[in-house]
Amino acid sequence: MNKKMWYTLAACAASASMIGMTAAAEEEPVTLTVLAGQSTTDAGIEDMIDEALAEKYPNITLEWECVDWGNDFQPKMQQYMQSGLPDIMIGKAQDVATYAPQGILAEIGAEYLDAGLDAARENVTIDGKTYGLVYNALYQGVYYNRDMFEENGWEIPKTQEDLQAIIDACKEKEITPFASHMVDTWSIGNVTMQFMMNDVFNKDSEWGDKFRAGEVSFSDSAEAQTAYEYNKLIFDNTYEDTFSLEQTDCDAKMVLGEAAMKVSGSWSIQNFLDIDENFNFGIFPFPNQTGDSKLIFEPNITIMTSASTEHQDAVNKVLEVLTTDKDLAVEIYDYTKTASMLKDVTPTFANPSQEDIDKYASENMIVDVTLGNNQLVWGGFQEENAKDIAAWLQGDASFEDALAASDARVDASSAN
Amino acid sequence: MTGKKKEKLREEVSTKKGNPAVQAAMTLVAAMYIFPLFVIGNYSFKTKKELYLESPLALPKSLNLDNYVKAFDKLNMQTTFINTLAYTAVSVFVLAILCGVTAWAIARCKHKFFKFCYVYFIVGILIPYQALFLPIYTIGYKLNLTNTRYGIVFMYIATGISFGVFLMTSFMSTVPIELEESARIDGCSVYRTYFTIVLPLLKPAMATLIIMQAFQIWNDYLLASLYVSKKQLKTLTVAISSLFSAQSSDYTTAMAAIVISVLPIAILFMSLQKYFIKGMTVGAVKG
Amino acid sequence: MEKKLFRQYLVLVIPGFIIFTIGLIIPLFLSLRYSVTSWDGMSAEKAFVGLKNYIELFHDKEFIDAWWFTIKFTIGNTIIQNVLALLFAVALDSGIRAQKIYRTALFVPCLISAIIVGFIWLKMFSNVLPEINEWLGTNFNFLLFGDSKTVLGGLLIANNWQWVGYWMLIYLAGLQSVPGDLHEAAKVDGANAVQRFFHVTIPMLAPAITICVVGITTGSLKVYDLLVSSTKGGPGRASTSIIYQTYTTAINGRRYGYGSAMTVTLVVVLLMVAMIQVKGLRKKEVQV
Repeated sequence: MNKKMWYTLAACAASASMIGMTAAAEEEPVTLTVLAGQSTTDAGIEDMIDEALAEKYPNITLEWECVDWGNDFQPKMQQYMQSGLPDIMIGKAQDVATYAPQGILAEIGAEYLDAGLDAARENVTIDGKTYGLVYNALYQGVYYNRDMFEENGWEIPKTQEDLQAIIDACKEKEITPFASHMVDTWSIGNVTMQFMMNDVFNKDSEWGDKFRAGEVSFSDSAEAQTAYEYNKLIFDNTYEDTFSLEQTDCDAKMVLGEAAMKVSGSWSIQNFLDIDENFNFGIFPFPNQTGDSKLIFEPNITIMTSASTEHQDAVNKVLEVLTTDKDLAVEIYDYTKTASMLKDVTPTFANPSQEDIDKYASENMIVDVTLGNNQLVWGGFQEENAKDIAAWLQGDASFEDALAASDARVDASSAN
Repeated sequence: MTGKKKEKLREEVSTKKGNPAVQAAMTLVAAMYIFPLFVIGNYSFKTKKELYLESPLALPKSLNLDNYVKAFDKLNMQTTFINTLAYTAVSVFVLAILCGVTAWAIARCKHKFFKFCYVYFIVGILIPYQALFLPIYTIGYKLNLTNTRYGIVFMYIATGISFGVFLMTSFMSTVPIELEESARIDGCSVYRTYFTIVLPLLKPAMATLIIMQAFQIWNDYLLASLYVSKKQLKTLTVAISSLFSAQSSDYTTAMAAIVISVLPIAILFMSLQKYFIKGMTVGAVKG
Repeated sequence: MEKKLFRQYLVLVIPGFIIFTIGLIIPLFLSLRYSVTSWDGMSAEKAFVGLKNYIELFHDKEFIDAWWFTIKFTIGNTIIQNVLALLFAVALDSGIRAQKIYRTALFVPCLISAIIVGFIWLKMFSNVLPEINEWLGTNFNFLLFGDSKTVLGGLLIANNWQWVGYWMLIYLAGLQSVPGDLHEAAKVDGANAVQRFFHVTIPMLAPAITICVVGITTGSLKVYDLLVSSTKGGPGRASTSIIYQTYTTAINGRRYGYGSAMTVTLVVVLLMVAMIQVKGLRKKEVQV
């Protein structure tokens, strides 16, 4: 009888202390490390996330390391793969294809993924497992000065001939047809992928795999060459000093009416509206050879978590805040001027191009560029090709040289 | 130089008269050199709208300090400034001591090992540590040096020693051996000899070393971004460079940040100028 | 007694020796080790490939182009910086007034980080200087960073702006230590100012020239920070230096083993250049 009592007491004490411990663990302060690869428009969202997190889970603190996604995210990831990844990594959707196969990312819990749109899952899922939570999205295409188009009675071009008509009309009025800032090689790389989505990947969604298998090449593919050649079309019809012109100066000139169109993405919206809150712009997909180009959609900020984190609970709580706090989401979307990837959340900033986006969405004329970015990776491939394109436009290399160089780096076209 | 020769030189200098054409030319050159700095200062007071709508050469409408306030905030100035100051001061202090004693030992002891040491350290000047970034990081994290204050100081010392030893050994010939020898006869140990006799004579050398290492460490980007990436440990140069890339649209703030980061070093230089010039004199002559 | 002295001296040298070895030499050897593998910088496996990387380097057009650019940059710098620094030093030493002000004005730029200097000149060339054309009604082409033919010139200007003052101080110090009676003797022999300059001043400046030439050369070969914030190696690849190419290949290109081979090659070249220069220039020095 005594023994039984002792055992029961012991069991009660044990479970009480367990409950006490878990309760204590809930209150215990946890610090999570975050590596955030940011682009021009994202810098600053970390403060918003900190605020929202502090309200709901004050015991969790995030230790941020914010770097430029284009230049420093990959080196930092390489560094940390040596010593231990941060608990949370914020990059772009295409990063999942690079890092998940290394076995270092954890699956994202279904309850968090369900808060997002289905489109958010497709390209961050490998072999049925989803490794990234896509938070927002960008649209890419040709931004145009809506007022200018209306004044001049210009129609949205669907074919190359239509586009040429507008270019000619612009030149007559001494307006530069295209705004561009080719001093940033990444801009050349970005528009080239936009072109390839609508001339190469629309016909063959596995072009990259075939390229690596030796079945197709840049030197043989008329479609790939067309995509490269559109760069020349822009170069011939843009600012003379485009190779010296920096992004914000380029956007300022467009807002001031010196240019009619710019092949770009949602990141330009922040600049446009900073310079003139009332700038009236729209977006249309760059015309392709078959007259059926689709508007480009890019899942952008993607949250990944480390497979070897010691604080999975805390990490999950952060995911919870991100997926359930609608005010935070709207704040971030409004700040970055991007589209929502969470269900039932829409940004409130006035986006003049929204009606164009909705139109293409309703006609099902939208395509996800992650397909292209997974088939031909950015770092080491697209980026390097862009340099060769720039050299060709500058006259330092022939077109064949540029194509041959792209072919020569076939091994770098995939992350694995 | 003997006394007579010194006199002659002084005479030479005092009777030289400047050519007015040369004077005008140098004024023009100096103006051209200062111009970019003036442009930065100018930009730092402008607003973003002024940046795009007005000419770059126009003076700002008002001396608004908004950009400086923003720079302070975005760069997390209280933390980064103090971090940079701390890392620089400690590293330079340790370097001054280490390079001094190392160079002196190398200069005084004729043993083969020390000759080897001299070449060993000098070779370091040629090693481009930027390209060794991954191994440097690997070593760092294996020894638990990354994201610690002493880790970054360690790396600054490791990369700064080569040049420091080179500089100090070339100065050692200005320290008369006779003084050291009489100290040794009096029974001083090697250490005491150095600290009480040699060190005071090395003032110009030390000043040169301090200035040169200080501004290299203050302006360092790569090592700081590798070793101290956590927000609380970040340095000023790393914080500023993020203003050029990720937030490149905000370059009025970047300009204000540049002004803030250059001022301390400029002030250090101007205060130590006298010693620095003297130090370089000896170095240039002895080579 | 000797041994005791030796040990004491040794104690003074050891700390620096250890720190230097751990921080710089060991990473160098690690790099050597990586250079014979095909490591991508990320995965755990590092497959041994022998000298394959080095052989590939010889055929790598981008690598060779990067070397070309770096060499042109180095030669340009060495000539321009030395000539300008010496010229300005002579001008300052010729007895004109307000020497200190000119000295400070030319020296301050070297206190600025190369990353910032790159950014400053980017803005100067693309925004500020073209404005001068408006002011003066002239039509100079200031967009030096935007054309592959002029980008080298633009970078030389930026780099010289940063460093001329520094080397000028060394030359100035050297000039001021040339004994006056040597000049007097030459004058008596009938030498004019130019002859005196080349036959008296320059030989006496030999130690300073050695320091400056070696310093400028090795510094130029290592150029990287300046490019990161200004041209980023562009337009295209026109201004990619050897370190920039190494960095891009090793990291973004995910070829860390190959990139390490590039590093080792660079270190070897730097060592050879420095040794040749020091040997060659020391021979010409006049021992006073």
